[in-house]
Amino acid sequence: MAPLLSLEHVSKNFGALKVIDDLSLSLGEGEALGVLGPNGAGKTTLFNLITGDLEVGAGTITFAGHDVTSLPAYARCRLGIGRTYQIPHPFANMTVFENVLAGAAFGAARREAESYRRCVELLQITNLLPKANQRAGTLTLLERKRLELARGLATNPKVLLLDEIAGGLTDTECQLLIETIRAVHGAGVSIIWIEHIVHALIAVVARLFVINFGQKLAEGEPRAVMDSPEVQEVYMGIEAE
Amino acid sequence: MKTTAVPLPTFRVERSTRTSWLGLVLAIAGVALLISLPWWGGEDDLRLVVEICYTLALAQLWNLLAGFAGLVSVGQQAFVGLGGYALFALTIIAKVPPIPAVALAGIVAAVLAVPTALIVFRLRGAYFAIGTWVMAELFSEIMGQLPDLGAGTGMSLPVAISRAVGATVYERETVLYYMGLVLGIGTVVLVFAWLRSRQGLALTAIRDSEIAAGSIGVNSARTKFAVYLLAALITGMVGALIYLENLRISPDAAFDVIDWTADIIFIVVIGGIGSIEGPFVGALVFFALRYFLADYGAWYMILLGAVAVIIMLLAPRGLWGLLSDRYDIHFFPVRRRVRLE
Repeated sequence: MAPLLSLEHVSKNFGALKVIDDLSLSLGEGEALGVLGPNGAGKTTLFNLITGDLEVGAGTITFAGHDVTSLPAYARCRLGIGRTYQIPHPFANMTVFENVLAGAAFGAARREAESYRRCVELLQITNLLPKANQRAGTLTLLERKRLELARGLATNPKVLLLDEIAGGLTDTECQLLIETIRAVHGAGVSIIWIEHIVHALIAVVARLFVINFGQKLAEGEPRAVMDSPEVQEVYMGIEAE
Repeated sequence: MKTTAVPLPTFRVERSTRTSWLGLVLAIAGVALLISLPWWGGEDDLRLVVEICYTLALAQLWNLLAGFAGLVSVGQQAFVGLGGYALFALTIIAKVPPIPAVALAGIVAAVLAVPTALIVFRLRGAYFAIGTWVMAELFSEIMGQLPDLGAGTGMSLPVAISRAVGATVYERETVLYYMGLVLGIGTVVLVFAWLRSRQGLALTAIRDSEIAAGSIGVNSARTKFAVYLLAALITGMVGALIYLENLRISPDAAFDVIDWTADIIFIVVIGGIGSIEGPFVGALVFFALRYFLADYGAWYMILLGAVAVIIMLLAPRGLWGLLSDRYDIHFFPVRRRVRLE
């Protein structure tokens, strides 16, 4: 079966700096993939290339049978690529509810009144329902991250790209987040998750993809990848558990 | 998705607020009062209300462009001028009756806004602003080259055409008054409906974060383009009405950046950018200042500038921003509130 998402020989330069260097990656339907790499390795840039926030310098991106390489971000979203931002981008002067509603109305192309139920459900899942009528700009950082998740899910994605959504959480909060992401995955949504918190990542994903200097460093079963000498060198012996 | 064991609470989504009902009652009373004005007001009153109406319409449209779509245009005078010139061309050359010509003039302005948008939409921020101004100057120069429309010195509207609006002065003033009222109130209703709709959800999302709007499927280029065309359409009609009342048009006056854009920006900025109420407040302040200070000439302009600077420094979201933040009042509710039951 053809993969849901595939990147072939994708490169991206910022001036003289090669941020993504001839990278290929594929994601199967229903798969959950974890992306690891040191700061500045190009992880977020990789997401921006997949979503269309940035244009590739070279290479092709295929999603669900479409060549999306030159499609704008909104069109890729409507095809089923959803994301959260590492630095949350809430619609600050809209209410929390409206933030999620906008995702449902445009990403999932639902009629407004039909999506109310789904939006309330997503706010409940992300524990934001008590804040539904607040301006999103009044939320704390952690709440903003949960809003990113709710809004991304509202677009009804086939693949959800999660960019460091667990950072700064307490153990209990992190456990709840893992449960939520597992449930999203369980409902058939494919996932690519960038995260430094390796144990959270491994609790959800079946495959790891490690990048460094914009290139693939290692790929495969999480424990084997974490134990590989290349990754050990970069991560200086951080244990998987 | 079965993510929670907790059942979904019952809820409803509300779009009106207590103050919005009060606002509706006030609006109906106000409109009724305005409709009855020709029976008890003088000619000067009618003219003043028409001026307030088209100023408010221009302010609402500029607010929609700059306050919501992030399109800070300083070239809206292009569409006032094109609307005015289209009215003259349609009535004098094409012999269209003046009242339908006002509507058609708006369509002419909207059609010419398409190539204008193709050029200025390539520019961002300050460059967009300058680009719109340059386009307005370009249209002004072109109108100044047309001998059938008075070339550089302008021309007057033939008496027969203004007679077609109304046989007597009173009748003419009354017809123009109601046209102004329809344009003013119609623009407010249209902008309100636009902001409450899907388009409004997209626009507010773009205003707050264009990049995130794209990531949730909002086509920001198309949304902005639609707003730009809508603004050109109504601005063109306003221009046509202004010059149907003025009876004389010239390129310098019709494409004047101070009258048709700078004053409007003043109104929106001091009233409160990004809200429907703001332009009302701004227009009120603008006309009040003019009423009390018009005799002071240059001092009036200096004071106007000083007021704008002070308000921008002390209340970046304008006078209405101060009020609505403090008292949570919304006469034009575009928000949605979830009520759990």
